[in-house]
Amino acid sequence: MNQNLYQPIDCEVTDIIDESPTIKTFVVVPEEKFSFRTGQFVELTLPGVGEAPFTPSSSPADTKKMEITIVKAGRVTNLLHECKKGQKVGIRGPYGNGYPIDDFVGKQVYIVGGGVGLAPIRSLFLTLVDRIKDFKSVVCRFGAKTPDDFIYKKTLFGPWQKIAGVDMKLTVDKANGQWQHNVGVVTTILDRGDVDIKNTVGVVCGPPIMMKFATQKLLEFGFASKNIYLSMEKNMSCGVGKCGHCMIGKFYVCKDGPVFTYEQIEQYPDIFD
Amino acid sequence: METVFINELKPFLDAVAEQMALFVPKKSGEHYVYIKYDHSSEKVVEFNNIRACTPLKEFLFPLCELAAVFPEPVEPEEIKPFAVFGLKDCDLRSIEILDKVFLEDEFEDLFYVARREKMFIISSDCFEPRESCCCNLFGGQSYAEKSFDLNLAKVKNGFVIEAGSDKGEEFLQQHKDIFVEAPAEALAERDSTRARTQQQLEENNAEYKLDAPVNEIMENSPDSDVFDIESQKCVECQACTRVCPTCHCFYLYDTKQKDYFAKMKMWDSCMRLAYAEVAGGANPRKMLGDRIKHRLMHKFSYFFDRYGIDMCVGCGRCIDADSHKMDIRVVLKKLNEELKNKPKAKVAK
Repeated sequence: MNQNLYQPIDCEVTDIIDESPTIKTFVVVPEEKFSFRTGQFVELTLPGVGEAPFTPSSSPADTKKMEITIVKAGRVTNLLHECKKGQKVGIRGPYGNGYPIDDFVGKQVYIVGGGVGLAPIRSLFLTLVDRIKDFKSVVCRFGAKTPDDFIYKKTLFGPWQKIAGVDMKLTVDKANGQWQHNVGVVTTILDRGDVDIKNTVGVVCGPPIMMKFATQKLLEFGFASKNIYLSMEKNMSCGVGKCGHCMIGKFYVCKDGPVFTYEQIEQYPDIFD
Repeated sequence: METVFINELKPFLDAVAEQMALFVPKKSGEHYVYIKYDHSSEKVVEFNNIRACTPLKEFLFPLCELAAVFPEPVEPEEIKPFAVFGLKDCDLRSIEILDKVFLEDEFEDLFYVARREKMFIISSDCFEPRESCCCNLFGGQSYAEKSFDLNLAKVKNGFVIEAGSDKGEEFLQQHKDIFVEAPAEALAERDSTRARTQQQLEENNAEYKLDAPVNEIMENSPDSDVFDIESQKCVECQACTRVCPTCHCFYLYDTKQKDYFAKMKMWDSCMRLAYAEVAGGANPRKMLGDRIKHRLMHKFSYFFDRYGIDMCVGCGRCIDADSHKMDIRVVLKKLNEELKNKPKAKVAK
């Protein structure tokens, strides 16, 4: 490899979609050819401000543009939220391993997602749906704080519910008047009866506390720890396994992850901190 | 490879400096630091009997450098050949470690590679190890046998110079006129000094010898209290990671210049509280003891797992730098003793 690892590709933000009061999706068009595998992440630079890691939420099949869903959580993301269409940004990557989709073929894919964790899951979901017949079924168990906090509302509450081969249940911690789905944390919609335990893989992505309890629940159901895939959020900076910020034990999340099986990392006491 | 002899340092250093920028050690207090060699200066360059306090990484991976420019891409600045004189075996072994990360990895760091290719390495034998020197505990010794272009050994009436690479050999050929054949007694003196220094290192560190390989000790101590106990002495100054020749954590940050945006790359330290913190505030290593443990696990277990060598050369700089004298040898020895009393420790990496 003979290129500068730290040089971003120039991109333009062509659209910004409000998803929730604190979450926006940025449509980013790279000026050079750029592709990724679902579950890989990119480093997005806001020039002069900073850089942060995000997993694209769009399907890798769309090679013209990429969607990145961003929650306001710190200095860089607060300023990103103030950006307008036409903003120039930079992208480095894609980095990491992504989801091993081919290993999911023929199996039930049991996805548990929460909050802005639905961003990487949307990319995975779209990838799975593209070849839905390859999988036994796709089970989605998604949660958010309130109905307003769900991202991708238009598709989530509409077309995604009707895809053949997809079994979707939603829950919120706190409902409002129109809410017709479950109320309670995401583990309250995880049901052993829905799991084809001999032929299933679990995918968990969301806030650390949710990941912790969802993983525990899947283990209780009898999931083998090697069949639970976790998309880990750590402080990835260089993206290429050098700068050290994202280490979990011996692993560089940026290079060896961000998708790990629970088996790989369960020995480390701090993975959900 | 060829071995020659010279009475004085100056003609040799002048010959090097004619070809490239040369950095030489200079005494500063009780330590050596590197300065640029000035051939016109009357001051005699001292032969450093021990490693400088400046880690070699400064030459290959500077404290702060420009990593990218936005929107125009930046090519690495053209690095001209340069030489560093007075490096010790521990310094050379630190290059081996940094190479694994920045040069031999599937992702090459162009800035590092450019400097690495242009560096002319002039090492020299160490013969006055400090109390903190402990290379012998970590697979090193007082003199280099590989990884240098030229190596000097100080003897009674001059210096024995040995070539260790084609570049070094070529240099000796080019400057035949300033060297003479190495006398047998000079070579004998060099060898006896080497043996004596090695013996001294062994004696200095006898009490710190471990009963098992260091990675085994670390991997079997995940629940030890030693890290928390040691952390009570630490003032989080991060000096240990700055002076460490193998610590290579860095931090990328963006700045706004007059007419462009720049991405800078600067040394960072895993001892810093916010080092691993994510935007939402989660931090896997909030406790100082956990950060100390992580640093040592990285050095003696994680790095070994990935690259097959330990990430410590036993140079002792961290021991010298620590204001409360936290001593890596003492920490490892304590873990060693703990394990001896707890033979059925669980294995976890």
